[in-house]
Amino acid sequence: MNIRFHRQKKSKQDHIGVSRRMFLMTTAMAGVTTSAMLGSATRSLAAPLDAGQDATLLRMVQDIYPHPDLLEVSHYEGIAATVTTNTEADAATAKDLRDGLARIDAQADALFGMPYTEIEDPDAREGVLRKFQHDGFFQGVRWTAYFAIYNNVDVWPLFGYQGSSVEHGGYIDRGFSDITFVPQGPTLEERMAAVKG
Amino acid sequence: MTVFEKTDDSVVVIIGSGAGGGTVANELAKKGIKSVVLEAGKRLDSSDMENDEWTMFQKISWLDKRYSAGGWHGSVNHPTLPAWIVKGYGGSTVHWAGVALRFKEFEFKTRSTYGAVEGANVEDWPVSLEEMTPWYEKAEMKMGVTGKTTGMPHLPWNNGFRVLAEGCRRTGRTDYNSGPMAINSVENDDRPACQQIGFCMQGCAIGAKWSTMVTELPRAEESGLCEIRTDAMALKIEHDASGKVTGVLYADAEGNQHLQKARVVCVAGNSIESPRLLLNSASEMFPDGLANSSGQVGKNYMCHTSTGIYAVMPEKVHMFRGTSVAGIVGDDVKHEPARGFNGGYYLEFLSLGLPFMGAFLEPGNTGWGRSFSRAMEQYDHMSGVWALGEDLAQEQNGVTLHGSEVDQHGLPVPIVAKTPHNNDHAMTAHMVESTSQIYESVGATDIYELPPYPASHNMGTNRMHADADKGVVNAYGQSHDIDNLFVSDGSQFTSSGACNPTLTIVALAIRQAEYIAQEMNAQNI
Repeated sequence: MNIRFHRQKKSKQDHIGVSRRMFLMTTAMAGVTTSAMLGSATRSLAAPLDAGQDATLLRMVQDIYPHPDLLEVSHYEGIAATVTTNTEADAATAKDLRDGLARIDAQADALFGMPYTEIEDPDAREGVLRKFQHDGFFQGVRWTAYFAIYNNVDVWPLFGYQGSSVEHGGYIDRGFSDITFVPQGPTLEERMAAVKG
Repeated sequence: MTVFEKTDDSVVVIIGSGAGGGTVANELAKKGIKSVVLEAGKRLDSSDMENDEWTMFQKISWLDKRYSAGGWHGSVNHPTLPAWIVKGYGGSTVHWAGVALRFKEFEFKTRSTYGAVEGANVEDWPVSLEEMTPWYEKAEMKMGVTGKTTGMPHLPWNNGFRVLAEGCRRTGRTDYNSGPMAINSVENDDRPACQQIGFCMQGCAIGAKWSTMVTELPRAEESGLCEIRTDAMALKIEHDASGKVTGVLYADAEGNQHLQKARVVCVAGNSIESPRLLLNSASEMFPDGLANSSGQVGKNYMCHTSTGIYAVMPEKVHMFRGTSVAGIVGDDVKHEPARGFNGGYYLEFLSLGLPFMGAFLEPGNTGWGRSFSRAMEQYDHMSGVWALGEDLAQEQNGVTLHGSEVDQHGLPVPIVAKTPHNNDHAMTAHMVESTSQIYESVGATDIYELPPYPASHNMGTNRMHADADKGVVNAYGQSHDIDNLFVSDGSQFTSSGACNPTLTIVALAIRQAEYIAQEMNAQNI
C-alpha cells in the first residue's frame, strides 16, 4: 500500500490517548474475560498459554488491527480466545504460538528492556511485531483477527459497511445515489437520449 | 435433457462453459450443430449467488493448485493464486463485472502502431476493428449491452461513480459514463432490470447481469442439441494418425476417466487451462503439445497492467451501494508515446466490500498495523477505481508445467510466470497520477494505491496470428496445425488491448461458430 498524504493530519493526541488508556485497561483484564462475539470462542481451563502470554497475545491482536475508537476490548478478547482455542487441537501449533509470543517478549526486552505489553508507544510495539510478520504464528493470529473484524457482519456497521442487499431489494431504494457533495448523475431521460441515434 | 453417446463422433466437444465456450455452444445449437460441453466445475444457478465476498470466493473460484512465478507481485502476494477466475457452470462470466467495451482499431494493430518494442512480443491481430464491428454488434445485442446498439440506456450513476465523474468533469475529461455494461438497465431478454444490489462479481443473484450461466448455457441445453457435463475435467485431447483431433479424455466427479469422441474440439478453458491442456496433450506426433509448431502455446501471457486506487473523500460515499463497476473513464485510451509508454488505459470505478478492502488494501504479510487500520476506518468515505491498460505480450511470460508436482487428476500443476515490462511501470505511474488528479479535484484527502489483484483478465497464451510461425491459431481461432481444433477463449488474443476482454471473447465466439458451421457444412472439418 502506497499512501499519498495530501494534508497534514490533525494532531492524533486524542486518538493515541484513548488507545493508551485502552491498552492499559485491556492488559489488566486479559485472561479473566471471555467474549460472546465469536460463539465458539470460550476458554478452556487447560489453555495452552499462561497468564503472561495471554496478555501478550491480547495486546498483539490489538496492535495488529488497532481500532480503539470503533471496537470494544471484548472484540479483541474474543479474537485472542479464538486464537487460543484454535491451537488447542494441535500441539505443534500451540508450541509455535507459545514460542512466538516468547520471542516477541525477548525482542521487546532486547530493544526496550521491558516486556512487550509494557511498551507504551504503539509505534514501538508495532515495530517489535514487524520483525515477526512473516512467521507462521504471526500470520495465524493476523488472519484470525482479519476475519473476526473485517469479515464479521456484526462489526461491519461500525465501519459503515452494510453488506448483503439482495434480501432488501438491493440498494436501488436504499441510498445508492444519495450523496450531496457532488452533482446528481443524468436523469433517465438524459440517459435515454444519450443512446439514441 | 439430451445425452450424447461418448462414442458419438459427430459432436463438437467444447471444453469450458464461460464467455467463449458457452457462447460457441449456444451459437452452434442455433445452427443445428450438436455439442457436448465439458465443464470442470459444478452446476451453478442464480440461487447459488450470495451477497458475501468470501463465501462466493470459496464457492465459485478456481482453487486447484497453481503457482505464480516471475517478477510480479503475484509471486509474493498470491503465490498459489495467480488468477481469480471461476470453476463452474458459466465460467468466469459468473464473476465478471459486466463491462462490455470494444477494442480500439489501434489495439488490433499494435505492431503496426507501436513498432517493435524491446523486450516485448508485440504483433498485429489478423482481424481489424472494421471486420469485428458487426460481430461486436451481435455480441452487444446478445448480451444486452447498454448503449446505442441496443438502445438500452446506461445505468443510473451510483455514489462512488458520481464522485469519480465529477472529478473527471473538473479536470476537463469528456469520456466518462456508466456504460457500456452488459447489465440490464431495463427488463430485457427475459432478465430483470438491475436493482443496484452490488456484489456483481460475486455472481448476480437476479440475472440482471449477462452471463452464460443464465443465458447461453440453459438455452443451448433447451435446444436439445447441447449436453453440458459438469464436474468434467478435460485431461487430454486425442488425435489420429493423420493429426486430426478425435476426442477428449476427461475425469468425472469420482475421478473416473471417459473419452468423448468428437468431430471438432473447441478449447475454452481460460488462458491458464487452455494452453495447459494443449501442452498436456503432447504425443509422439506432437511432442511439444498440440497446435504448438510455432512454440507459442503457453507464451505471451497477458493480464492487463492494472492497479487499484482508492481516494478518501471529505464526506461519506458508501461506494458499495450499487453496481460494482458503475462507471468507465476512457480519456486515456489512446496511443501517445510522449507519455512514455505504449497503449492506453481505462479507469473503472470499482467498489470493494469491507472484507476485500481489508484483503487487498495491502495484500501479503504486511497488511496490518496502525496505518492500515486507519485506512480501513476511512472505508465509508472511499471512492476508487480499478485502472487497467494494455499489457504488452512478452514471450517469457506464460504458463508452463511443473516438473514434479501434480494435481488431483495426476496432471502437472501449471506455473504462471509474469514479469512486468518497463511499459507497465510507466503506465501504472500515469494511472495513479491521473486518478489522483481526478479525486483531488473533488477534495480527496488521502489516496491509497493498491497492488494488482489476482488476474481475472487472462489472455494471449494461444495467440492468433496470420503467420503460422508466430501464432497458434488463425483469425477464426482455428489451430494452424490441426484444422478441427479451435481455441475459443481469451487465450487467442494477440494483444490485450486496454479493455475488459469479455465482449471481444463473445464477439470472436459468435464469429467462430459461424465459421465452424460453414467449414463443417463444406466438409472441410
